[in-house]
Amino acid sequence: MTIRALEKVSVGQNGVGAFILQCRKMDIHYCDQSGSSRGMNAFIKSQLSKFASRNPQIEFAVSPRPRKHPVLIGHYINGKHKSICVKNMDSLQILKKAELLRDASGEKIKRVNKPITSINESVRSVWSPYHGNGMPV
Amino acid sequence: MKRIRYQQLSRQWLATTPARSATPSQVSRLSRPAPTALHCQRRCQSSTSITPDEVFSEAEVHDSPEESTNIHEVRSKPLLPSPHPDRALRSAKLAALHARLSLSSKIPRQVLARALVDPSADAHPKFNNANLAFVGASLLQYHTSEWLVTRYPRLPMSILFAAMKGYAGDPALHRIARAWGVEAAAAPGEEVDPGYLQFSHNNPTVKMHKWGYARAESKELNKYKWRRGMSSRIVLDDPFGNLVDEPEDIPQETDGLEVSDARNKKDLVVQNVDKNAHANFVRAVVGAIYLHCGSETAKTFIKSHVLSRQLDLSNLFNFSLPQRELTRLCARENFDPPVARLLSETGRLSRTPVYVVGIYSGYDKLGEAAGPSLDAAKSAAAINALKSWYLYSPGEVGLPSDTFAEDAAPWKPVYVDIGEIIS
Repeated sequence: MTIRALEKVSVGQNGVGAFILQCRKMDIHYCDQSGSSRGMNAFIKSQLSKFASRNPQIEFAVSPRPRKHPVLIGHYINGKHKSICVKNMDSLQILKKAELLRDASGEKIKRVNKPITSINESVRSVWSPYHGNGMPV
Repeated sequence: MKRIRYQQLSRQWLATTPARSATPSQVSRLSRPAPTALHCQRRCQSSTSITPDEVFSEAEVHDSPEESTNIHEVRSKPLLPSPHPDRALRSAKLAALHARLSLSSKIPRQVLARALVDPSADAHPKFNNANLAFVGASLLQYHTSEWLVTRYPRLPMSILFAAMKGYAGDPALHRIARAWGVEAAAAPGEEVDPGYLQFSHNNPTVKMHKWGYARAESKELNKYKWRRGMSSRIVLDDPFGNLVDEPEDIPQETDGLEVSDARNKKDLVVQNVDKNAHANFVRAVVGAIYLHCGSETAKTFIKSHVLSRQLDLSNLFNFSLPQRELTRLCARENFDPPVARLLSETGRLSRTPVYVVGIYSGYDKLGEAAGPSLDAAKSAAAINALKSWYLYSPGEVGLPSDTFAEDAAPWKPVYVDIGEIIS
């Protein structure tokens, strides 16, 4: 009994082992009367069913929002959501925006200035001043 | 760890249970029988004639007229404790979850809906996930333990227990369920969307890792904090080395009594209901995959969702006597006794000295570490040497479960360690 164990929980990384799409729900809001929703109404009529069947991981909810601009809202597994106003866009542009929401991770947009981000320990490990032959000054 | 016969366990999922007339109304549902340990409920029936479809068709029993003849005569149909299985096919949330986990179409959505119902939401064993979770728990524990034991054959038992808990314990499974995007319903009920996880904070639920034996002295162990040896933990306790509580004798309730205090006990309610329910959902999904797609698919699922997660085992060790243990190890393995040598130092007279100490056995350096004092550096070096011994891994080796397949290669024995240094 000279060794006691500490309790730790394993850490998961999405895509290592299994991949879970981070967008879990997409709200689609439109208006029947307003001109800014014309493209959205065409998107719902012609392309939404195909888009939804290509992405079964996402729950789609279509609901009217009278006298308001059309909006796409993506809800993510980490609890955050992203919304995009798609007023006056045509249906292909809206499809692009829907794909953008689908592919997003839900994280805040961060500047990535390191080539590699990893939770693994470095193979080479940290430089130590007490090892090696040293440099004569 | 312990041998698990999950071939038998899967039968209880298909076993028949008495009709639901015992718990017809809301009031008697509140005072339903206590959730006994699952292995007590097991019925080993060789004729597994009831298919899952038939089980679900029995859901109509819910709406049978005799239910409404009770206290709630005014209401034509009493509310069910959990959503009707038929509604599973119409839930977008459930379909999305099914697709997100890339489950096979062989697994019906009703089964996934049932996996989301905790025993605290619906006590009826045919409509909650207790049986599925029991199968899943045994599979999870089996695959995790065989993977750890073949991969790290020299792990001490306490570390093995902690690693088991880190991979397949409640906290890890809770995180997995959260990462799957499972949302909990505010309160369970018939009207809830079947895609939500349903559990109740007020009702008792079933703890899933009840494998070991309840010790006769378990009350004293809890009360006086008696010591439990590691060998007895292996034999008696659950797969994570935790004490199995003694099953409480719950007094039988009389039918005439409407309000009873018998169930109102702290022990029957698990500490963290939320965590327990999420973990049970993951177990139930594994159980459902095993029952509908077979053991190979379940193994792949466990490998990709549970064993692919990262746990640094070298952070689990907490040594109390590292130098003594290293000496014992060298004596056992017929190495020369370990000697600590100062490799380099700086700032001995300053406020922040650094010493680098190496531990040598003969001419072999076993470990090395830096520390702020000679003693600290020496014990850190001994810890490094011990960790490199304990964390030996033969690399990617075959698992015993690989030989379950029909056309599997014959089993090649793996490295088995002779045991712990100081037990």
